[in-house]
Amino acid sequence: MLHLLEYWAARLALFGVDLLPPAAASRWAAALGSLWWTADRQRRRVAISNILRAGVTNDATEARAIGRGASRHMGMVLVESMKSALVLDDPERLRVDIPGDVAAVLEDPDRGLIVVSGHFGNWEIAGQWLSRYKPVAGISRPMTNPRVQELALDRRQRRAFRMIPKYDPDPGRFLKLLGDGEILALLVDQHARRGIDVPLFGHPAKTHTTAAMLHLVARTPLTFLVCRRMAPMTFELSLSPLIEQARTGDREADVEAIVRTLNAHLEEAIRRDPDQYLWGHRRWR
Amino acid sequence: MDADGTADVLVRLRDVLRDSAVEEHDWDAVEAETPIESLGFDSLTILDVLYDVEEEFGIALDPKQVVKTRTVGEIITLLQQNGA
Repeated sequence: MLHLLEYWAARLALFGVDLLPPAAASRWAAALGSLWWTADRQRRRVAISNILRAGVTNDATEARAIGRGASRHMGMVLVESMKSALVLDDPERLRVDIPGDVAAVLEDPDRGLIVVSGHFGNWEIAGQWLSRYKPVAGISRPMTNPRVQELALDRRQRRAFRMIPKYDPDPGRFLKLLGDGEILALLVDQHARRGIDVPLFGHPAKTHTTAAMLHLVARTPLTFLVCRRMAPMTFELSLSPLIEQARTGDREADVEAIVRTLNAHLEEAIRRDPDQYLWGHRRWR
Repeated sequence: MDADGTADVLVRLRDVLRDSAVEEHDWDAVEAETPIESLGFDSLTILDVLYDVEEEFGIALDPKQVVKTRTVGEIITLLQQNGA
């Protein structure tokens, strides 16, 4: 029943997106996000708990306001992803900051790149922007609602962006695409059952190690990406300088060092704009 | 020991696999003909193994070459080509 409600809410949102000009569509999506915040009691509880635990604020009222803002933000992410061409084709709407070492990799067709981010800002716009340089592969877990997933995939502007199912059994898949000079885009801020405990906002959080291991084994450059919204349909996209970790022979220590760095980048982005983060995920279990 | 050192490399490789693998396996039964896909690695654990193999043999393997290998023997050949 909930899936059906979500699906029709998404259809309704799309109808509005198609009818309205971008700024108005964005505001409408934010209102739907706010409505969702009111309706989804379970996610609301998780989000408020996470915000307080992260220490972004110690005030429950402020935590609720941040959570509602984040829910509005997620509504806008959906709409912006559907209208991404408006952003990608307009330098006034997408300000980009690329360090020289990352630019060199992006412009070299033979060099792969691992780009890490979280469910922060608009990661969809970021992925589509990256695909202007090289083919991008993103790892995805199917949405819990298959109807909404199908709807979303139909509407996104994909360019050279493809999704790899999270449970693809081919062990060499990442090495292959990086060896071919492609970009592997990973969102590393979801609970990783097989990950390692690394602090996030001071609390141990099971975190994915794939990006770190690929950097160490494939010797592929690694960077952290942030795409924050500055105004409706307007973004600032920045990449960190290349993250370098020399191998010490202690695999677990090397991996932990990289994952700590990645989490520090994520924390920094969230602290600056806490209402642009997906708080409704049970990150600390 | 065999003339080209293949048996020695196989023994060392088995030890690395034994230490790196998460799942139980009869590592002593692993031979050159053993298909890699039968060893039970996935996209996460294969990276752990590659790191540990490179550390054990003190060499750096080309990932593009590694993904082409299909048997333990082909891995051994690759290691030997890189100085193991």
